Amino acid sequence: MKFNKLILAALVSTLFFVSCTNDDTNNNYVPKGNYDSGVLVMNEGNFGTDNASVSYISFDLNSYENIDFSVINPGEVIGNTGQSIAFNGNLAYIVVNVSNKIEIVNRYTLKKVGAITAGLNKPRYMAFANGKGYVTNWNSGTGAGTVAIIDLGSNLVTATIPVSDFPNKIIENAGKLYVAHNDLGQGGNSITVIDPSTNTVNATIAVGDMPDAMAVDGTTLWVSCQGKSSYPIAADESAGKIVKVNLNSNTVTQTFSLTNATDHVAYFEVFGDYAFYVLNSKIYKFPLTASALPITESFTPTADYIYGFGVKNNKIYVGDAKSFVTNGTVLVYSAGTFGPDSIGTLLATIPVGVAPNGFYFNQ
Amino acid sequence: MTAKKLFLFWMLLLCQIICAQQDTIVKLKEVVVSDLSLQRFSNSLSVQKLNDSIIEKNQSSLTSLLQYNAVIYFKQNGFGMVSSPSFRGTTAQQTAVIWNGININSQLNGQTDFNTITTKDFESITVRAGGGSAIYGSSAIGGSIHLNNELSFTNQFQNTLALNYGSFNTFGSNYKARIANQKISTNISISRNSSDNDYEYLGTKGKKNENGQFYNTSMNVSFGYKINAFHFLKMYSQFYEGERHFSGTIASESKNKYQDFNTRNLVAWSYLKAKVKSTLKVAFFSEQYKYFENYENYDFETSKAETILYQYDFGYLIHPKLEMSSSINYTQTKGTGSNIGNVTRYIGSAALLVKYQIFKSLQSELSIRQEQSNAYSSPLLFSFGMHAAPTQYYNIKLNVSRNFRMPTFNDLYWISGGNPNLKAEFANQFEIGQELHGKHYKFSATVYYNAIRNLLHWRPTNNQWSPENVGKVNSYGAEFLFDCNKKWGVHKLNFGATYAYTISKDVASDYQLTFVPYHKFTGNLAYAYQKFGFHYQYLFNGAVFTLNDNKTILKEYSVSNLGVDYDFGLTNTYTFGFQILNLANENYQSVPSRPLPGRNYLINLTIKF
Repeated sequence: MKFNKLILAALVSTLFFVSCTNDDTNNNYVPKGNYDSGVLVMNEGNFGTDNASVSYISFDLNSYENIDFSVINPGEVIGNTGQSIAFNGNLAYIVVNVSNKIEIVNRYTLKKVGAITAGLNKPRYMAFANGKGYVTNWNSGTGAGTVAIIDLGSNLVTATIPVSDFPNKIIENAGKLYVAHNDLGQGGNSITVIDPSTNTVNATIAVGDMPDAMAVDGTTLWVSCQGKSSYPIAADESAGKIVKVNLNSNTVTQTFSLTNATDHVAYFEVFGDYAFYVLNSKIYKFPLTASALPITESFTPTADYIYGFGVKNNKIYVGDAKSFVTNGTVLVYSAGTFGPDSIGTLLATIPVGVAPNGFYFNQ
Repeated sequence: MTAKKLFLFWMLLLCQIICAQQDTIVKLKEVVVSDLSLQRFSNSLSVQKLNDSIIEKNQSSLTSLLQYNAVIYFKQNGFGMVSSPSFRGTTAQQTAVIWNGININSQLNGQTDFNTITTKDFESITVRAGGGSAIYGSSAIGGSIHLNNELSFTNQFQNTLALNYGSFNTFGSNYKARIANQKISTNISISRNSSDNDYEYLGTKGKKNENGQFYNTSMNVSFGYKINAFHFLKMYSQFYEGERHFSGTIASESKNKYQDFNTRNLVAWSYLKAKVKSTLKVAFFSEQYKYFENYENYDFETSKAETILYQYDFGYLIHPKLEMSSSINYTQTKGTGSNIGNVTRYIGSAALLVKYQIFKSLQSELSIRQEQSNAYSSPLLFSFGMHAAPTQYYNIKLNVSRNFRMPTFNDLYWISGGNPNLKAEFANQFEIGQELHGKHYKFSATVYYNAIRNLLHWRPTNNQWSPENVGKVNSYGAEFLFDCNKKWGVHKLNFGATYAYTISKDVASDYQLTFVPYHKFTGNLAYAYQKFGFHYQYLFNGAVFTLNDNKTILKEYSVSNLGVDYDFGLTNTYTFGFQILNLANENYQSVPSRPLPGRNYLINLTIKF
């Protein structure tokens, strides 16, 4: 068994070595910074502490770094509760929820180039369209959801688009913005479609309770709906579902429902011809052409608490927040779509910062 | 810098020697307190009494007082914000606060916020280190803090008005009256404190502590009436109302606001005869908080707990060498709130306390207590101690005890995640203390070992945070207390110092608990010449870990305060004083990203008439 693994490891590393050499000789690729060709991990940090951070893991998993932001940018911190990162050109926009700001850095060096510090109120996620930035805001105090429009030259909020409560994840596709409404408890069941050329709401798509991740495959928008959690009203807890939306008609064309009220789709990603999701701390994989959800999981990661999830380059990245009062780890598994490793083969365990909640691929 | 610190240390050490050679007269006055066990059943533990003269010299919050005068470590979310103690390496819920003999830790979260207690409302505050659950119930694991109102039955009519004003528009006032004759004694204390608290964050290009303003008002009334030679009636009443805006971090603003409203009432009727001591107590207390996530909004979360307590104590002196005391207690707490629903908890307990003098210089004390509750299961609690004084100048103490911390309303009933099947946390503790004392000095050294089990940890499983009895912690360490007083002619000198070395480790990981410093040192020097007074306080707080994996450190700090005052009064006291707080302008934090104030100033005026 062990011997087998050794041989396999030797084979795999040879493959890697060869491919790397090829890259070097053929493309003469010059990395754009220390953090090129790898994953940026958003470490949320502890709520109420300015310890949000970013970690870097190279695609070949050979190097990693918990980036000291204040060394690259003296006197600066990312802030209190790092929510998400959005890429635009060479820039990374780090959305810092409790600090009500967005740090703008070079995505390959993490050198700060600016910040959006005014006009945001509990910002969540960011996307780009029509040469502008769009940031979802929960607006603590007033409660009403808005999408803030950012002028990417001045880094100022120029206007806000009122939307339903708790606008959360936002993506851009074919010149349209899609905003999923989800309050992480029991509120939110729709997707708002915004036309960035007029900055108005185009359509509202009823999808299911607590829509979370969105992924586009051709003219299909995949949406994972978590289902209502047990808070605040335990009796209202409901099962999650995964829905397919036709982007031309903005209608739900197919719904995959889970059975038990306690089944909540925690994360969802599309990579290649497959979708991956997390349910009850287990990872499931199914082909995008499937007519039903898989009955059994592909594998169970050895994480204490899955808090981040990403799939890229045939690898599954799992962010383990553990107890939240300690530094987390990222577990990297094979996605098993191609190559010698079957899905769930542990490729690396990498120490990161507190509460790794998202993966952003720098390539 | 280091050389300077060393010099200071030697200066202080030198003082010890000077003090030790002098003598003073310690004046004792006969007073009546509600918490009788503190005097009678604490001989085998380390007990440190902070009297009114120390209370007067310190800032008015219980955090400030204990931070500079006791071994307890405090974690403060910014000045005046939520403050939680760690005593002997334990958690904030494992230190009990006892008001006139009654445990007042919050029923909702199990701890006392030490910034919601105004010290000037009390005549004395006592720090009792080590296990006390057999007498005081839940939370007395690391130790207990006793807030005492002392009634004296000598003819007097004394008024004290203390006012102070300082940086950041900080205002404090306290009015106290003591009215007494041989039969009736009344103490009244009213305090008001407020501050804009908008201090600058040092080293941040002018950032300020925004949204940190607070005020609080408190009133404490104690009343004693000697019905006749044997019957005695005591009443204590306290009211506290406070509002604090909770400041944010360096990199985030906050709009949080928090209000506290607490009342405490106690009536005790005692019958005291040569051999018999009988006391019936009825207490009613309530606590309520309101939390506004955004103060611009009317939405808030609130919870309230109302407790009624009946206790009967009966003590009998069986033999001049053997004293027994028993106590039965029934407590009912009703909790209601946004996050706990509507719940009632009943606790019944019975305790037996025995004190036996084996030889003239060797005493032993034993207490046993069993609690029964509808909400949780509790272990048998006990404390056994020996106290030997082989010479006049030396004594040795030994104590072994089992103590507990009951699950709180939040732990049991929080919506959602509360776990109704929790057991109490318990701790087995052993300690040995030695004391050297002379006419004008006292030095004590105590070592302890505390094995804490069933520790409640809130952990996430499937997006749901829930508490479980999973933690095991061993804490051990050493504490040193030194105090000396000297008076010669018109000179008066007092020096006090404490040092604690604390190891508190999670058994499974072998890591030191977060926010438990290995070292803490305090030093206090007060000197008076005729009507002129000078005092200096020093605090060294060792580095702490902020995450469980011991990889992130919040650095150590030392802070000192200096004050001078002069009494202009001829017959009455008119003391005018000036204080510099954080003399060296140390940039420090006790919770990461939440700086504490740099150098600031305070003027104060105390009038006694």
